[in-house]
Amino acid sequence: MTVDKISIEVFRNLLSSVAEEMGVTLGRTSYSANMKERRDYSCAVFDPSGKMVAQAAHIPVHLGAMTASVKAGLDRLSLNRGDIAILNDPFLGGTHLPDISLMAPVYDDSDKLLGYVANRGHHADVGGMTPGSLPLSNELYQEGIIIPPLKLIESGVTNEALLELICRNTRTPEERVGDFNAQIAAVHTGQKRLNDLSKRYSTSSLHEHMAALLDYSYNLTKAALRTLPNGEFTFSDYIEDDGLGNESLKIQCTVTLSDGTAIFDFSETSPETNGCVNTPLAVTESAVLYAVRCIAGTEIPGNDGVRSAITINAPAGTLVNALPPRAVSGGNVETSQRITDVLFGALAKAAPSLIPAASQGTMNNVLAGGINPASGKSFSYYETIGGGIGGGPNGPGASALQSHMTNTLNTPVEALEYSFPIRVKSYGVRRHSGGRGLHSGGDGLIRELEFLAVTTITVISERRSSRPYGLSGGEPGKVGYNTIVARDGTESELPSKASRVLQEGDVLRIATPGGGGWGKPI
Amino acid sequence: MEIIGIDTGGTFTDFILIDNGVWKTLKVPSTPSDPSRAIEHGIQALSAEKFLVAHGTTVGTNAILERKGALTALITTKGFEDVLQIGRQARQELYGLEPAAVDELVPNEFRFGISERIDSKGRIIEKLNVAELEETVKKISNLRPDAVAISLIFSFLDPSHEILVADHLMKSIAGCFVSLSSEILPEFREFERTSTVVGNSYIGPIMSSYLGRMSEVTSQMRIMQSSGGSISVDWAKKHPVRTVLSGPAGGVIGASYAAKLSGITNFITFDMGGTSTDVSLCPGEIQLAHEHKVGGIHLGVPSVDIHTVGAGGGSIAKLDMAGGLRVGPESAGANPGPACYGRGNLPTVTDANLILGRLLPSKFAGGQFNLDIQASKNSFQKLSESLGINIESTALGVIRIANAVMERALRTVSLERGFDPRDFTLVAFGGAGPQHACELAEGLGIQKVLIPQFPGLLSALGVSISDIVRDFSRTVMAKGEGSILLVEGLLSSLEADGFKDLEEDETLGVYSVRSIDARYIGQAFELNIDWPSEADLSLESVTNRFHDIHEQRFGYCNRGAEIEIVTARVRVVSPALVPSIEAQKPSRENAKHVDDCELYFAEQPTKGKIFDRELLDVGQYIKGPALIAQMDATTLVPQGWVGVVDPYFNLILHLEGGSNDGR
Repeated sequence: MTVDKISIEVFRNLLSSVAEEMGVTLGRTSYSANMKERRDYSCAVFDPSGKMVAQAAHIPVHLGAMTASVKAGLDRLSLNRGDIAILNDPFLGGTHLPDISLMAPVYDDSDKLLGYVANRGHHADVGGMTPGSLPLSNELYQEGIIIPPLKLIESGVTNEALLELICRNTRTPEERVGDFNAQIAAVHTGQKRLNDLSKRYSTSSLHEHMAALLDYSYNLTKAALRTLPNGEFTFSDYIEDDGLGNESLKIQCTVTLSDGTAIFDFSETSPETNGCVNTPLAVTESAVLYAVRCIAGTEIPGNDGVRSAITINAPAGTLVNALPPRAVSGGNVETSQRITDVLFGALAKAAPSLIPAASQGTMNNVLAGGINPASGKSFSYYETIGGGIGGGPNGPGASALQSHMTNTLNTPVEALEYSFPIRVKSYGVRRHSGGRGLHSGGDGLIRELEFLAVTTITVISERRSSRPYGLSGGEPGKVGYNTIVARDGTESELPSKASRVLQEGDVLRIATPGGGGWGKPI
Repeated sequence: MEIIGIDTGGTFTDFILIDNGVWKTLKVPSTPSDPSRAIEHGIQALSAEKFLVAHGTTVGTNAILERKGALTALITTKGFEDVLQIGRQARQELYGLEPAAVDELVPNEFRFGISERIDSKGRIIEKLNVAELEETVKKISNLRPDAVAISLIFSFLDPSHEILVADHLMKSIAGCFVSLSSEILPEFREFERTSTVVGNSYIGPIMSSYLGRMSEVTSQMRIMQSSGGSISVDWAKKHPVRTVLSGPAGGVIGASYAAKLSGITNFITFDMGGTSTDVSLCPGEIQLAHEHKVGGIHLGVPSVDIHTVGAGGGSIAKLDMAGGLRVGPESAGANPGPACYGRGNLPTVTDANLILGRLLPSKFAGGQFNLDIQASKNSFQKLSESLGINIESTALGVIRIANAVMERALRTVSLERGFDPRDFTLVAFGGAGPQHACELAEGLGIQKVLIPQFPGLLSALGVSISDIVRDFSRTVMAKGEGSILLVEGLLSSLEADGFKDLEEDETLGVYSVRSIDARYIGQAFELNIDWPSEADLSLESVTNRFHDIHEQRFGYCNRGAEIEIVTARVRVVSPALVPSIEAQKPSRENAKHVDDCELYFAEQPTKGKIFDRELLDVGQYIKGPALIAQMDATTLVPQGWVGVVDPYFNLILHLEGGSNDGR
């Protein structure tokens, strides 16, 4: 089939279908709640040079990071038919340790390289200081097992020793094996379907269309950028603290727009820090790609054509491009949200009638663990809590939703109480927490958890002192807060990032931030 | 007694019944403001004497889609009033700049919390505060709602608090429609349960009054449910939420009936309409889902497992910013509809079919109105100029892309359920299904396509032959040895209730199907498995059964792990008398084609033949390219495909020279 504007659209569907089928296989066969129920995984297809040509992403923070995984695999390993590589090293193709990636080459029936397939899943535990592997750490080594690019499967034979070593380093080895099997099955699905396409349309046609799709996304991105005015637009915002007392860490971006080119420059960002809020470059790239994709419209095929249409300058050694062995566990979940806020803040200066005010700007990570008196076994629980969406030019912001870099589901109250020694006292919209405006910001949430046994809790949150900004005269949203109500009724504030041992009857109250308002309130 | 199947889905209200071993059909223009009027006209026209009406209705569906249901209040446990608004916290679109909130059925000022609490073991840890309840009921009364929904935390473990609330409401607000979550859906997960009971209350009053009017038209009637089984009018009035997908469910039941007549057991139904396409995968039998969404509203009651793709005949073709051709997801809908309807100028998939000669301008909707092919061509003019290709090539491109979108959806649906589409037959119906079926099948590697005798009446047919079915469920969350007797006792009691209910309205035999939703302890999702018979009942047999099904569905199991039983389910069935249609002997002569046509499969047209489906007898052989026209659908037999009318008047299509060449 020759390449034309119609066949490009047909191949967009065909290649997206390969990525989606990998995602379906992974979701269907995975074991853990985090992958199965919360769908914390992504899948993608790559051309022979390692450029991503199609993806099925459920989680935006995985968006830009998949290409880095494939690149790391190609740089470090000599991959052949029957090999599958594994990695999670944040400084070699990963993002944070719980996100483990698998990648493999795909060949046609005459042994010609068709391209690569890869997937990434968030594993509920990879060892480290605290259950859930999102600790308040000060170096990477405290966060769990580090896996550089290695062959998990070589010529079709699984390296059982490697698998055992990885699983021995996690708190929940059986669950890990179940999830790895799902990731391997997804690789096989992707390989088979890409091979099917080469038979249906020929390998050369497949490659021509991969190249055409990259060009097509590149052109669409350029066309979208061209609708924005030329100029330099700078915005900065802050990470409140890194959990170790280092406060007000600046993230600044200058977006330079010029006739369809866009440069995102983070040079004025604070240096990397001791706490866990550093991010590897891949997370920063994901945030930029997310912002560009929001602007370019949902129709744009998500591939590396988008990436090649823009330039990102994030100097090594800064908060947004940390060097080993910095701690990064919270970078993926918190700093990524602030980078997004900064990007939209800068873009709003270019296009005030397009960009909404800041959303809650945090994921409100809550981790809880201890011994369940009912079973005598240890339990580990992780959730993220939604908040206010920023008001926008077209209307008020939605309340009580996950924003920007995450979109995982909540755990139902009744499901939680069945499984854990926890009782939910209340779970409701936090009224009037959204910033006032012509279009007000959405409201945050209040969630109160009562612990029915001695429990160690960890909270990693942001926007507890700096409010989500409003735009075009709109007021900022309210900050969130974390409170412990002891059994005797005394209340104490918990910092934005903290770990505590709570007693039976103690209540943790998390109030999440409201979104910023848009436009002057009437 | 004759059973008249009636479906009020679209532009027409469809009627079908068996008359002396032969299907008799009728289409009457629908009367959307009061669908019972069209039904009355149709029944008179059929002049049946002794009959029973089986009815699939969209009254509830439309009320939810158009947000025109009752003014509804919600009572929850205090602290959880916002359960509907919060939902599962996830936004619908990943990359929207301004993500939208779901348009909920109960606004903020109609939500009320009362102090009470039941824990996960079913213990009352906070007694309901009656004084506060009376205050709340007074406030609700002042708002003059038409309906109230009650959903308290863990009410399915102890419904006493919900019953107390309902008693107070009924005493104080006369004529108010009240639903209890412990009756409508006694299952865990508070958002899903609350959304379902609110849906029930929201459409309750409107369905009650509609069914009241229908009772004046006919006294003998049963109502189709989303699950593919029908229920009595009284039950439908209490549980209207169980009827919202009755039309699509009827279509799958009808397709299954047609497929099974022809000896086909594995099939995918493909119902392509104006704005969307419904597909359902049937590996041996119709699959059920225990939740579905209508108009963004989550409903946790059983339905036929139908997946809806946002592509249909009305899907609009357009160019994006980089000059690429796109089809959908925007649709021209029924109004203005495709350009050829003469009310607008939007280029759609239906216009592309018309331009390519795959639709006959004068045969549309039984010849009720002519399609304007010039309008179609005009609507494609701009696209064609921008792409630099002629109008026919542009139309071919639109069809290829629409098929690629549907192919992608069908693959995902198959794989999600653990199947390869190549092992299935495509059963195509709905207005546009038979036009796209062969080309879609080719893309999916499907060998065989079946077009039923009445592709536009399949829903009514399915409704007319549906079993009478009641579904009961209750979350138990039990594990270990003790769980088996506990669940067995619960299943028996649910079953006894079901038998009693059905005996009241039916005399045909009754049987039940017992099943459970179970999972490995620590898993967050459940698998439905059959419950063993009494002779085979033990924790071991239940657990082994779970391992086996887990392995079959997901490719692995964990034989060392313990399971927990989450929800007990009983389905009580009174089977319908399915009309026996006898196989007909092949006719000696092939019918001649009625006309010639030009069909486009490439830039230059190919000569094709037009056949009239009503003239085709058993054994008729048709070689593509050809069109087969009938009252409510046009079937495209592309070049390289052949068709045979089988002994049950189903049209079986396959690739010429393929393994299924049945000549």
